[in-house]
Amino acid sequence: MFAFLLRRLGWAILTVWIVYTVTFFLMRSVPGGPFDGERQLPEEVERNLLEKYNLNDPVHIQYFNGIRDIVANPIGEKFGPSIRLADYNVDEVIAQGFPVSASLGIFAMVFALLLGMTSGVISAIKRNSALDVGFMAAATLGISVPSFVLASVAVIVFVFWIPIFPAAGWGELSQILLPALCLGAPFAGYIARLTRTGMLEVLGQDYIRTAYAKGLATRRVVVRHALRGAILPVVSYLGPAVAGILTGSLIVERIFYLPGMGSHFIEAALQRDYPLAMGMVLVYTCLLYVMNTLVDISYGVIDPRVKVE
Amino acid sequence: MIPRWLRNSFPYLAIGILLAGLGYAISFGQLEPADFTYNNGAEIKTVDPALATGSPEGRIINGLFEGLLRNMPTGTEPDETSSIPLRPVTMGMADTFEISEDGKTYTFHIRESAKWSNGDSVTAEDFRWSWQRMLHPETGSEYVYQLYSIEGALQYNTGAIELGGIVEVEHGQRQTRTELFPRANISRGKLVAHGTWSAADGVVWAKASATDSGSGSHGHGDSEQEGDTPIEVYKVTVYSSDHILDELDLSGDSHEMLFIKYTDDQKVPESIAGEYTRCFHVLPDFQSTVGLKVSGSDQRILSVQLVEPTPYFSDLVAFYPLYPVHRKTVETHGAMGWTKQENIVTNGPFLLDDRRIRDRIRLVKNPRYWNADGVSLEIIDALSVESDTTALNMYMNGQVDWLTSLPTMIMKDLMPREDFVSAPMLASYFYRLNVDQKPLDDVRVRRALNMALDKVKITERVSKAGEIPARSYVPPGLAGYDGYQCGEFNVKEAKRLLAEAGFPGGEGFPTMRILYNTNDNHQAIAQVIQQDWKNNLGIEVRLENMEWRTFLSNVSETQFDIARAGWIGDYPDPNTFLDMFVTDGPNNQTNWSNQQYDALIESAKTLRGEERLKALSEAEKILMEEQPIIPIYYYVSKNMVSDRVKGFSANIQDVHPLHVLTVEDK
Repeated sequence: MFAFLLRRLGWAILTVWIVYTVTFFLMRSVPGGPFDGERQLPEEVERNLLEKYNLNDPVHIQYFNGIRDIVANPIGEKFGPSIRLADYNVDEVIAQGFPVSASLGIFAMVFALLLGMTSGVISAIKRNSALDVGFMAAATLGISVPSFVLASVAVIVFVFWIPIFPAAGWGELSQILLPALCLGAPFAGYIARLTRTGMLEVLGQDYIRTAYAKGLATRRVVVRHALRGAILPVVSYLGPAVAGILTGSLIVERIFYLPGMGSHFIEAALQRDYPLAMGMVLVYTCLLYVMNTLVDISYGVIDPRVKVE
Repeated sequence: MIPRWLRNSFPYLAIGILLAGLGYAISFGQLEPADFTYNNGAEIKTVDPALATGSPEGRIINGLFEGLLRNMPTGTEPDETSSIPLRPVTMGMADTFEISEDGKTYTFHIRESAKWSNGDSVTAEDFRWSWQRMLHPETGSEYVYQLYSIEGALQYNTGAIELGGIVEVEHGQRQTRTELFPRANISRGKLVAHGTWSAADGVVWAKASATDSGSGSHGHGDSEQEGDTPIEVYKVTVYSSDHILDELDLSGDSHEMLFIKYTDDQKVPESIAGEYTRCFHVLPDFQSTVGLKVSGSDQRILSVQLVEPTPYFSDLVAFYPLYPVHRKTVETHGAMGWTKQENIVTNGPFLLDDRRIRDRIRLVKNPRYWNADGVSLEIIDALSVESDTTALNMYMNGQVDWLTSLPTMIMKDLMPREDFVSAPMLASYFYRLNVDQKPLDDVRVRRALNMALDKVKITERVSKAGEIPARSYVPPGLAGYDGYQCGEFNVKEAKRLLAEAGFPGGEGFPTMRILYNTNDNHQAIAQVIQQDWKNNLGIEVRLENMEWRTFLSNVSETQFDIARAGWIGDYPDPNTFLDMFVTDGPNNQTNWSNQQYDALIESAKTLRGEERLKALSEAEKILMEEQPIIPIYYYVSKNMVSDRVKGFSANIQDVHPLHVLTVEDK
């Protein structure tokens, strides 16, 4: 287990370095810079600005200075000042944006798991019933409809027709539900199908028949015996699902005006805010990496047959 | 192997994480509801007046700070000569000001009741210091050219020093490079000699007659300092002065000092390092070269000496980059620290209460504002919703009271509404033509392209918000100014001109491209123009859209045939439009050059009154005859304002100060 984590850490450092390098050169190869505007800056002013953000150093110096800062500086000062949010450090922007995206992601995930697994289990037990067909149709719809379409429809229905939610914004529980629902819907659909397939496979097995033969109630058989084996595919799907929710939140955050990482990420790229964009990319990289590692570990937790090595 | 207890605790752990997330989301601040919420349109770059650009920043800074004068939308009755209401300048921190006979000296008297939010008095020295900070090369202010009309300001900003001139030298002793506007350890004196040092040649002094052309302020971190690039050295006769604000006493004690420009690498050998003092900046001495004087018993009088009579200087002073900042706060907390809500000290009608990035900026009423009784709103939330559709949803849902930007797609549904507030603006939508590109180098072609355009169709069917088709570059309505109109829509004449230029019926005309930034509206307009040119002239153009910053970099390098553009006037004067097309002006971007035009713009700087406007009008005539640009329409402002908001009036520059608004209860 320890060796496993150590090895993962080694790969993590390599991954972050590669992502840093690719991002660094991609950003600088894109035309346009952070100080471009419809109004052309006088030469002296632009020179002052470039100097202020150390953007007039040779590229290789900027590259190594960036790495040095990330390695050597304490958390809170790793990425330096943001160019387009001049009152903040990149680290402060991340510190403000991360909790928003995290709670949105957690809500979406909980919603996806609850809805997906419940409907999947019911579908499997009542196979071929109207309920099953209905759930699976809904699941297919959830997977195939992109989240921005779903969001638009949800706004029309739940904001204007049945006014129970605010249109957008952040700060209250009611403001997080609609975006979390839209963000989680495709994953709920996928999880429902995975759970159903898993359940069907497990329900046909001998140990389930044994459990029934012992006279256990259906509920106990399903929850205690069958579900555990059936959700393994769901668990392995969690890795990609977390990745999907993280990246999917870019769109949902914009539509619902949430001040999360996604909004900062998009704006940083559009505004050529090099330090902020770099910070965002690296945080996303680390998040995805950690999540995937956690999923790998959780295999071993849930299924005794799997050893984490 | 995973211990059993860990495995068993896993589900509980998962539930725990979920609950924590839930708890966090709910706990995310239950804010007191605001009196008035509006969409500011974008997250502002900064609340630092000297560093900000753009209208969203302007709205916030106008709430937080106040300049000597202030632009107000009130009193917007159109006068007889103009169709558009002009925006008068009213008193702000100053309660009176005088302009000298020759129009070159402005004297402002700051009101006694002017206070900072911490109780300090606002003095003329605050303005002097704030403007000096803005002019300092290291501040990197983008609007710094707004101060260039002040004597010596350009030279100070660009570090243009000359031999025999009085300079100030900042010693290279900062704790960190990025301290904000450091003013410690300054030596002041006469520049005796200026030269370079390099390892190969040692110190080489420049010829005594040579003047330096603006490289005095930079050098640190310069890319060309790799390898063996010479480092700047200076010989200065330093006079003792107790205070940086004192007039330099040139008859007092003096001694000669040698300075060498600070560099990161330690390649300067000991021998030199011992003899020379390291320095950051060598700039013209601010106190003796820049035309700002503070006087009066409580430092309440600021006199400003201008290079040329600048009739719009009072408008510049009322523009937010020239608002003052609180010196002690800036110096104590430094960059990024002083603008934080817990540190910031302001002098405007509102205080910065809370700021969440890309969420909201909360302003609360400033009880120490000199006119606090006239301010009605107590709490204001400025949102930064980027998506116009989302913002409109929030408006329709009652979450927002004022929208500053509307989705174009449903403009025609919004326009008839009573809460749609619109007015002509001091802004032009136009196309730039690259006059170095054949066949656009032929003025007949450029005129033909203009005359073949049905601009009414564009405003009526595409932009659809009541924009006015344009035949001049300067929008109408500037009092006393008559612009010159370029050719009107006339297909026959356009055809004739094109044939004369050698392309009868468009034959042999190369396929050109129209460049625009990705946006539905710009695209639709480009399509109409493409059609018009094809149908009326028989020429083909391709449309090419680019993401905003890519577009900007292409335009600034004139990598285009025809490119879409927009320009919003900085101040209500034709000069803000016309001076950009002088030869090699940074905003010219068409490669167009006309000496007569340059001369007229130059002469307008020294002229006054009617003569000046006449010179500008003649310049516009040349611009419209030569046609390096095709004017398309004049913008109109587009706002949606809830009917519970009172005191909102449409005006030519679309400024809506928050402190004059009042709201009725919901």
